[in-house]
Amino acid sequence: MSAPAVYLVAGARTPFCKAGTLLAEADAVELGRTVAAAVLAQTGLDPAQIDETIFGCVGQPMDAMNIARVIALRAGVPESVPAYTVHRNCASGLEAITQAADRILLGRGHVYLAGGTESMSHYPLLFSDSAARKFATLARARTWGQKVSGLLQFRPADFAPRVSLLLGLTDPVCGLNMGQTAEVLARDWLISREDQDAFALRSHTRAAAARARLAEEITPVFPRGQKEPSAVSLENGVRDGQTMEALTRLRPIFEKHHGTVTAGNSSQITDGAAALLIMSETALARSGLKPLGRIVAHAAAGCAPSRMGLGPVFAIARAEASSGLKLGDAEVIEINEAFAAQVLACRAAAGSAAFARDQLGRDRALGEFPDEITNINGGAIALGHPVGATGARLILTALHELRVRQARRALVTLCVGGGQGAAVWLESCP
Amino acid sequence: MTAASQIRRELDASGIATLTFDRAGSSANVFDRATLEELDTHLAFLTAASGLKGVVLASAKPAIFIAGADLHAFSPAPAESVLTALVALGQNVFARLAALPVPTVAAIHGACLGGGCELALACDWRVASNAKATRIGLAETQLGILPAWGGCTRLPALIGLPAALKLILGGKPVVGLQALKLGLVDDVAPPEYLLAAARTLLARGRRPAAARRLAHLRPLPALIARKSRTMVLARTRGHYPAPLRAIDVCVQALGRPVETGLALERTALLELSRTPACRNLLGLFMLQERAKKISRPELAGLTSAPVRRVAVIGAGVMGSGIAQWLAARGLSVLLQDIDAKALAGGLHRIETLVRGGARRRLFTPAEAAATLDRVTPILPDAPLTDCDLVIEAAVERLDLKQKIFRDLESRTRPETVLATNTSALSIDALAGELANPERVVGLHFFNPVHRMKLIEVVRGARTSPAALAAALEFAKAIGKLPVIARDQPGFLVNRVLMPAMGEAVRLFNEGHAAETIDRHLLAFGMPMGPLRLADEVGLDVALHVQKDLAARLPNFVQPDGTLEKMTAKGWLGRKSGCGFYLHGPGRRAKTNPAAAEFQSGRASAMDGAAMTDRVILPMINEAARCLDQKVIEAPEDVDFAMVLGTGWAPFRGGPLRHADAVGVPEVVRRLESLARDVAPHFGPCEHLRHMAAQGRTFYPAPP
Repeated sequence: MSAPAVYLVAGARTPFCKAGTLLAEADAVELGRTVAAAVLAQTGLDPAQIDETIFGCVGQPMDAMNIARVIALRAGVPESVPAYTVHRNCASGLEAITQAADRILLGRGHVYLAGGTESMSHYPLLFSDSAARKFATLARARTWGQKVSGLLQFRPADFAPRVSLLLGLTDPVCGLNMGQTAEVLARDWLISREDQDAFALRSHTRAAAARARLAEEITPVFPRGQKEPSAVSLENGVRDGQTMEALTRLRPIFEKHHGTVTAGNSSQITDGAAALLIMSETALARSGLKPLGRIVAHAAAGCAPSRMGLGPVFAIARAEASSGLKLGDAEVIEINEAFAAQVLACRAAAGSAAFARDQLGRDRALGEFPDEITNINGGAIALGHPVGATGARLILTALHELRVRQARRALVTLCVGGGQGAAVWLESCP
Repeated sequence: MTAASQIRRELDASGIATLTFDRAGSSANVFDRATLEELDTHLAFLTAASGLKGVVLASAKPAIFIAGADLHAFSPAPAESVLTALVALGQNVFARLAALPVPTVAAIHGACLGGGCELALACDWRVASNAKATRIGLAETQLGILPAWGGCTRLPALIGLPAALKLILGGKPVVGLQALKLGLVDDVAPPEYLLAAARTLLARGRRPAAARRLAHLRPLPALIARKSRTMVLARTRGHYPAPLRAIDVCVQALGRPVETGLALERTALLELSRTPACRNLLGLFMLQERAKKISRPELAGLTSAPVRRVAVIGAGVMGSGIAQWLAARGLSVLLQDIDAKALAGGLHRIETLVRGGARRRLFTPAEAAATLDRVTPILPDAPLTDCDLVIEAAVERLDLKQKIFRDLESRTRPETVLATNTSALSIDALAGELANPERVVGLHFFNPVHRMKLIEVVRGARTSPAALAAALEFAKAIGKLPVIARDQPGFLVNRVLMPAMGEAVRLFNEGHAAETIDRHLLAFGMPMGPLRLADEVGLDVALHVQKDLAARLPNFVQPDGTLEKMTAKGWLGRKSGCGFYLHGPGRRAKTNPAAAEFQSGRASAMDGAAMTDRVILPMINEAARCLDQKVIEAPEDVDFAMVLGTGWAPFRGGPLRHADAVGVPEVVRRLESLARDVAPHFGPCEHLRHMAAQGRTFYPAPP
């Protein structure tokens, strides 16, 4: 007897654009709305058929709490359909999809609209706590005397903003920022600057070559409030002429002395969103739609926050334990490129029997990430990493790649800030 | 209480009486003779009642307080004695209300227009609900008359002459908060608290006499009146007597006893009711009301499911205009074009329209965003199976449109109605080889879609009654006014309009200045001169339509080559910045001096009437042909469509009303002389000749 199937029926994503550039005018809601509406339009599905909308978003805008609900309503999903937002850091977009899958398996519903959205252009600047307290005092001031004395409390330092983007990228438990955790892995696994830069170059080369192929996943964004009509379809993180020379010239940004992680071999700060339509077998048959593929297994796993980049290895091992699917079974692998050092460390750890024994509690190594099936169309180093959207993007890209290669199985995996990993196994539908 | 009662009276223990207007068998309250008399009876009772503390006037209807006087009483024009009696009755009943010894309050929720507003003005206090449906105003001057149940007298006294004139002359109703700001109402409350708020106002007692206003001190009223007259004349070019009379009455009634004002109103109303402008404007109003309920006997019983989702094919000016209109009315719209660039253009136009509406407070920022959210851009590969209606608004090319329709057939459910916004192509030809050609119908919107209320619903040779019924229902549901036309070249509006445009171009070619030609037609009462209009629609479009009609209709003459030369030079009118006029962003169009090179002669000065005849008479000729060829059913349909679709001088009632006014034999005589002196194509059509010979008119003569 086979487990009930969960089908990924259609999907769309925005182009991924560097923060502060082409998509800076569209916020996380607008990006999410665009992909949600596009998925509905692509399938011709009556939105009333949807049982629930689930979106992942890491930096939820303060003016759109439970952003999934806002996106759903604005995309034309009826008010009677509930919606909620999930947060598993960089795996948020993936979490939305696996939660939908689990709900279908539980029999809670048949049709889910799920995805992720992130507008890193819109991460706010914050006031410090002490400044906030002074503002509160001032707001309570009634008499002129109180107001003046309230105003006099302020010091120039109170107006120095705290950059929420930097706060979000710093692990509050181990105190390292994400780039520093990548430096830890580079030291642990002796990953050279050259290897990291070569990996980054490959990401750009592949992404540049795959523009037409990636365009199949992309729905344009039409930012509002522009003077002239504008349609954004171009992914501007990809450098068509990226070279080793250019990469080599960059200075390490996280550890100035002897560091190896640079802006060039790290993922980019990016805006983007992706959404998928997920259905049970029953709903699929009723809809008459042709699925892109199905989810056969998924797992999340924890690891050391200071080595969060190794998360994929832990998650893959866990998925294998529950499903029996081995790294070697994958014909397509999408692993998020948070940092070149981090992906290369995963590759080394997966091939290490010692690591398997000491860290994963198993007697053999996980296996290989063969170059020719891993991140065939480039990854986040070239395309960018809109944190909440990436997980959904990886699944969509892997599904399209299964179709293009007429392959059977794909593995999607990413590391998660805070010390986690997530992995999803996809299968094509014959 | 009798069965025919329109007003419910309740008297509670605290001595407050409530009169609730609730017209039987209707969703609207209106004032007709019976209602006024019934109100009078109630007021008589209340005058005599003992222990009465106050009176509340309210409505039981969900969206209407009182929509005004029942205009059916005015159409066809009533005998003068009847009208006099009706005006006097209203004035007396409202005077009785104003004279009640206890405080009175109007609790206004829903449309409060015309007589409804005048009723409220006769109360001591007014409270309006904050609902969107609540709109208060006096629209009488739009119909060629003036507020004569005390409106011209009581409104200036209440809110001051300048604000009152704005309401009476502009005719645009105000919502609750605006009314509060004007002083037109004393409080604004949520509908649920409206009656409670009304009672609170009653507790203030009778309204104290208002302090004298600064603006009412001499000589200010005279100055205000002069300024208002100038503004009205600039807008109406003197064709509309009602606003001018309203100014006179308002100013003369100022500071005088109410009875004097009422007498002035009576006289003015009777005078205005005798004018042709009033008859024509009222007639058009009745036609609009009729269009809201239009149906055909053969369509009876054909009900179509309400349309929720529409696909619009083509994101050009018309397509995006239609998409915006539909989305603003809560419909979900799929807007299709061939690439992202075309879609971006369409979405940008929609956004511009929506932002304009938000700026003019037609909707809130949240509503504006929701309208934009309802438009989803799609490429031609998206399924349309969830759409209830498709409206094609692509480029006017038969082969292209046929291809689109074949494609639509494969992407929609087999029963989905496929409409086309073509302004000229044959519906039947578009339906071509489709498996179900009977589901193709014309829905011809006019540009700009958000302003023009008319839709020509075009029935092709094979269009099914179900598709026609669905198209009619849809047109009404989206707040447009439909007219049914047969599938003939140019349908009705363009076919009647084009000869005028062609003739204006010929006049220009003969050497008359574009400005002169346009000025004479503005003076005739057109909203825009024909050459300016050509610039606005695009010279290429105008040329295309003229050539197309000339190719398909035997009586149409080929355009004279002027437009051909102008478009060849890249002069396309407004869209290229240059045509008969020079257009630029944010500046008024100026005559294009370089256009003189396309004039073949230096014509001697021409009398304005002669020039107008050359442009207007061919329209009458063509309209008569349309009637004869059954493109459209009745003369009033022609007039209605021309006024609503092109703004054809409303006070003249439309081209055929105008023909009757001039006299059909006279029209024939002038056309014959134009055919002799200018060109043979002016020759009057058979239909007109016959009518002239038999002494017939388009409309039955007034009684």
